[in-house]
Amino acid sequence: MLGYIDKIRGISEKLLTEEKVDMVIGFKKGTIPMMNEPFVARNASEVKDFVWDSNCGINLANYLTDRKETIGIIAKGCDSRSIVNHIIENKITREQLIIIGVPCKGMIDHHEISSMFDTEITEVTENGSDIIVKGTDFEETLKKDSFLQKNCKVCVHRNPVIHDELVADMVDEQKDVDRFEEVNKIEVMSQEEKWNYFNDLLSPCIRCYACRNACPLCFCPTCFVDESKPQWVGKGPDPVDTRTFHFLRAYHMVGRCTDCGSCVRACPMGIDVRAFTKKSEKDCFELYGWEAGLSIDKRPALETFKQNDPEDFIK
Amino acid sequence: MSDWEPKIISFLCNWCSYGAADLAGVSRMQYPPNIRVVRIPCTGRMSPKFALAALREGADGVWVSG
Amino acid sequence: MVTFKLNGKKVQGEEGEYIIQVADRYGVKIPTLCHHKVLEPAGMCRLCTVELFDGRRSRFVTACNYPIWEGMEIHTESELVIEGRKLLVELLLSRCPDVPIIKELATEYIIEKTRFKEENDDCILCGLCTRICEKMGSGAICLTGRGVEMEVDTPFQIQSDVCMACGACASFCPTGHITLEVINNRITNKNARLIPSEYDVGLQNRNPIYIPYAQAVPNAPVIDRETCIHFKTGECKVCTEYCGVNAIDHTQEDEIIEIDVGSIILAPGFQPFDPSKLDNYGYANFDNVMTSMEFERILSASGPTMGHITRISDNKEPKRIAWFQCVGSRDINNCDNSYCSSVCCMYAIKESVIAKEHAGDDLECSIFYMDMRTHGKDFERYYNSAKNEHGVKFIKSRVHTVIELPDSKDLEIRYADENGDIKTDIYDMIVLSVGLETRKETVELAKKLDIDVSKSNFATTSSFTPVSTSRDGIYVCGAFQGPKDIPQSVIDASAAASAAGELLSTSRNKLTKEKEKVPSLNVIGDRPRIGVFVCNCGINIGGVIDVPAVRDYAATLPYVEFVTDNMYSCAQDSQSAIVQLIQSKNLNRIVVAACSPKTHEPLFQETLTDAGLNKYLFEMVNIRNHNSWVHKDNPETATDKAKDLVRMSISKVALMKPLEEAELNVNQAAMVLGGGISGMTTALSLANQGYNTHLLERNEELGGQALNLFKTVKGEDIQANVSDLINEVKKKENIHIHLNTTLENVEGFVGNFKSTFVTDGQENCIEHGVAVMATGAYESQPVEYSYGNDPRILTSLELDKKLVDNDSSLSDLNSAVFIQCVGSRNDERPYCSRVCCTHSIENAIELKHRKPDMNVYILYRDIRTYGERELAYAEARKEGVIFISYKVDNKPVVEIKDGKLTVTVLDHVIGQSMELETDLITLASAIVPYRDEKLAQFFKIPMNDDGFFVERHAKLGPSEFATDGVFLCGLTHYPKPIDESIAHAKAAASRAVTLLARETINTSGTIAETEPGICSSCGVCVEICPYSAPSFIEADARMFPGKTQINPVLCKGCGLCVASCRSGAIHLNGFDNDEIFAQIFAVNE
Repeated sequence: MLGYIDKIRGISEKLLTEEKVDMVIGFKKGTIPMMNEPFVARNASEVKDFVWDSNCGINLANYLTDRKETIGIIAKGCDSRSIVNHIIENKITREQLIIIGVPCKGMIDHHEISSMFDTEITEVTENGSDIIVKGTDFEETLKKDSFLQKNCKVCVHRNPVIHDELVADMVDEQKDVDRFEEVNKIEVMSQEEKWNYFNDLLSPCIRCYACRNACPLCFCPTCFVDESKPQWVGKGPDPVDTRTFHFLRAYHMVGRCTDCGSCVRACPMGIDVRAFTKKSEKDCFELYGWEAGLSIDKRPALETFKQNDPEDFIK
Repeated sequence: MSDWEPKIISFLCNWCSYGAADLAGVSRMQYPPNIRVVRIPCTGRMSPKFALAALREGADGVWVSG
Repeated sequence: MVTFKLNGKKVQGEEGEYIIQVADRYGVKIPTLCHHKVLEPAGMCRLCTVELFDGRRSRFVTACNYPIWEGMEIHTESELVIEGRKLLVELLLSRCPDVPIIKELATEYIIEKTRFKEENDDCILCGLCTRICEKMGSGAICLTGRGVEMEVDTPFQIQSDVCMACGACASFCPTGHITLEVINNRITNKNARLIPSEYDVGLQNRNPIYIPYAQAVPNAPVIDRETCIHFKTGECKVCTEYCGVNAIDHTQEDEIIEIDVGSIILAPGFQPFDPSKLDNYGYANFDNVMTSMEFERILSASGPTMGHITRISDNKEPKRIAWFQCVGSRDINNCDNSYCSSVCCMYAIKESVIAKEHAGDDLECSIFYMDMRTHGKDFERYYNSAKNEHGVKFIKSRVHTVIELPDSKDLEIRYADENGDIKTDIYDMIVLSVGLETRKETVELAKKLDIDVSKSNFATTSSFTPVSTSRDGIYVCGAFQGPKDIPQSVIDASAAASAAGELLSTSRNKLTKEKEKVPSLNVIGDRPRIGVFVCNCGINIGGVIDVPAVRDYAATLPYVEFVTDNMYSCAQDSQSAIVQLIQSKNLNRIVVAACSPKTHEPLFQETLTDAGLNKYLFEMVNIRNHNSWVHKDNPETATDKAKDLVRMSISKVALMKPLEEAELNVNQAAMVLGGGISGMTTALSLANQGYNTHLLERNEELGGQALNLFKTVKGEDIQANVSDLINEVKKKENIHIHLNTTLENVEGFVGNFKSTFVTDGQENCIEHGVAVMATGAYESQPVEYSYGNDPRILTSLELDKKLVDNDSSLSDLNSAVFIQCVGSRNDERPYCSRVCCTHSIENAIELKHRKPDMNVYILYRDIRTYGERELAYAEARKEGVIFISYKVDNKPVVEIKDGKLTVTVLDHVIGQSMELETDLITLASAIVPYRDEKLAQFFKIPMNDDGFFVERHAKLGPSEFATDGVFLCGLTHYPKPIDESIAHAKAAASRAVTLLARETINTSGTIAETEPGICSSCGVCVEICPYSAPSFIEADARMFPGKTQINPVLCKGCGLCVASCRSGAIHLNGFDNDEIFAQIFAVNE
């Protein structure tokens, strides 16, 4: 990881000094453990704050929306795919960007680790493949691989798909993962089981919209949940409204979601909202051979039409 | 069974299914009176939001045809 | 007015009315078996007996023939009445114990068994039959005999002379005593039979008053004078008593109307060949042999079996169906139709595929054919998928014998297969793919008009004027011009219109009248004041739905200011009433609950406009087609549904906004791309109709591919005709020719295009209202058969060139071989190039004419000489051209050895390889489109996998694109011969003129609009719109750069962008989100 950090700082410093970019977007250490913060360095002296470890799960593409400056941006596999999507959807141009690619080995699941301990975690450090978790009254060493975010466990695009600089050699992509295992499990459920599953899944939701705010794809000037004419979704705690929000949000992600996990990471209630997006990801992949954010020349699956598109699902 | 009858909201494309429903009428084909037709200019107009709205308004089914 | 009490309630009737009539009006049902509203009452069955209280005492009278009087009191269900009625039913039951209607009555009056002696009669002597017979004006039957001997019969029990076999007695008989059989055996000496429906080709029957078919225009019933009894006896007129609006006028007579016209277009169509005269297929005698037209009806969801495939003989589902091709086509032994009917191969494939879709994959479909002729656009693909994906079997053979097996009525067929072996097989059903022929009447019409017809009875036309008959000013289109399919007929039709338009262009718009405009009211900001009009549609709606209840319910809904119901809302007086009410009641939104908006919305919208109200402040509720007609047995739920639908529409209409229709000028110039025969013809046609036309050609001369062609199949000299055409185009003042030109850029949209092109390095820009793509195609370079290795191996065009030049090398040939389908109908180009079979045959004949003892061979897969081109095929065979078919997996082999040219091919008939030594090989190479992606991009026009442009609609829009203002013709659409290219070119001009002639175009009000403030610039709308209506606002614009805007002219209002916009930034006027939500929210009370 240290190698990564030096490289990130070095590249950033060079870009800023040579005035190739107006800013570099990366991560700095967060104020609480396992929560690195996005950080914008605007001059070379600030690059020393950049860090890199397994707590950089936030998708930085989110900070590119409608920016006019030239920007250097740190991008792991999923960030880079979201950047591609941003370029496709006119949120930023390729020319504005210098993408500093980071081959990624997965981010750790802060929800899971936090839930293991009853008292507050005060420090989490990394040592190779180990994670050392410290509290006021405990210290424990965990294997990082066992505590990866769920999306990282099944990630098959760990390397940036688009980049101008690279901080390290490309890592091996995971081969033998079942990307859609979670979806498959839900798909075979009976109607009632599904109902109960989603009911349980969404019952803690407090409609804070953190998932939406963390998502790089949610860049509408006015989100449908905030519109009043027509009012698509009620403002109250009615579970029907909560469901409506999640369903419609999922619809908006079809063909665009890169499974970066930002939504889950941001959720204060630890809801795995990927249950929805993963299904659409699977359908796009199986029906149209489409994976989001791999090429800046192709529009998402639902925006193109081919004569031989499958239509068996239309009854 | 009770005499409960489902209410189905159908979104019909103006150019095909709506016309087909007209033709079903002209041909006097008889079918159960459970559907309530919303005419849309094309099924392209259909939004998942309409389906959800229909269901939450108490529709027992949503039928999109076009 | 007479007032009396009915079951305790005060009711009113007209002086002279009978009790039953008044009761019926008030919805009080009195049972009767002998009463009918169109007949004089007879009081025969006594079932309608009711209790009458005259103020002092009660007595019993029959309601059907007892006139009402002031102050009487009637009880229809009193205890005594019921008791008496019960006895009557019991007595009827003893007389007719097996008659369904009597049994039903018995059940109703709870009689399990009659106490009287049971007889076995089925006549209750109600006299309906004799009375209706009299009303019909024939009086053939009466009640004869007395007392127990009484019965219905003819005088002296002799089969009647006066009976007209109309069947009215049978249709009025309530018990089934009189049937068609009884009429034929006992009553009439004529033949009574049901009237076969012409539309259902006799598979169903119809009434003497009927609507020919569901989509008939106008959709009004007609009286068939041949079968209507009124026109025989002057009596009957029963229909007039049913028609609520007195629309039936029996005194109407045919009129002879004279009109002055400058041109006549003939489109008399064809008739399907009648196979009953062919004895080998047994169509006339075998139940399960049917024509393709009959099978079409069987397949149709609106047909006699609702699309369920069953056999005529036993209603069983067939497991094996065979189609026989060329029935009444390509046949001079059994009929005189030597031509190919062009359409049957394709429709047989279609029928077989649909049959499999309807009946399931285990239905076995076999098509027996001579040559499979799928020469149309995308047809070869369809043929391949029928074969490979749907498993339809194709057997190359003409079946010679069909035998009906006695018990099963299955059909045994005998045929020789491709190797000449005799095969026998059994099928459940046989469909005869009957050909197209000209009606006798059409031939007579042609004589009357003094126009020439061919030997095959099709109008004579030349290849260069394909829709002009032999007489000036008379044009022809469709199957009378030659057997053809729908797209070709539609092309012809437009071409004929264009030809007439060219002739009459100086008179354009001389007879049009302008409508007066009513100034429109401004209702923006006003509280909605909704007027609701509920239509009875005679009894069409009112007979099922409780219209007054719906009306009254509507009055309770928010914003509703006025409600009423109409007998017919669409009637002229109702329309004027609506106009008046809008004005007097200050209504600003209108809801009409009636029939379908698809048929009547424009009418009501016009009414709104006449009242000064914006026509979009209107909603129609379909309570007829979607309700009363389809729920006739559930009047209550139908009424509830009507209320729901009315409520939904009222909720929506309250939110409707007045919408503007912008008017745009159409630039009166045209741009035609391509200076070949098609492009020149279009340009000339447009110029002849008075429009400035720019003709752009990539080469340095006009003429295109035609410059390489020798003769047409009709023997016309192509070079002479093309140079005439070129001269005419060059002479035309309003055609501007741009040679050596390439198109560089196109901006704008329908009516207002701006195109930039480069001519000889010089950049030019023109503005034009329409554009026609006539960019053609070219002959492919063969990559097989040693092409290029020997000067004696030519392509078709190269041979033509030699023929045009009268090349000396052609004079001393001893043998020539033509190889067909070179580069066509293969994996790379799975389409048929359409022209090559005819082309090779023409040239083969030419060679034979030049040197009759030359050996000429044509090696082919299927000979596709469709239409009257078939005659050339026959001629070639007569001239001694030898045709050898080859299979695609065993193609002929060309070898050059020691200067000798040989072709080896497997002859299927003799089963042996033949080695043909030859001096000339002509390869019928494919026609390939230019695949001009740039052009496609300029005009947003789609291209298919083969590289041909895709027209608006494969059948109905063959000459235009989905992009408004852009048209196509000629080879860029699909390979076609000169006559079809010229027809297509004229058709494109015709379609373009429909736009140019309007001079202005109105945008629709129901189009999408963006709200740029909410737009996220994601570009989904720009990407998905099939009409390219949305675009990004320029980056340097002052307001909202990078956001999207929608071009109102291009938008078709489909709403695809609206539904796809995640930001909710797009609104669809007339179907906006809140409007549709309002409907959804109002679905429950």
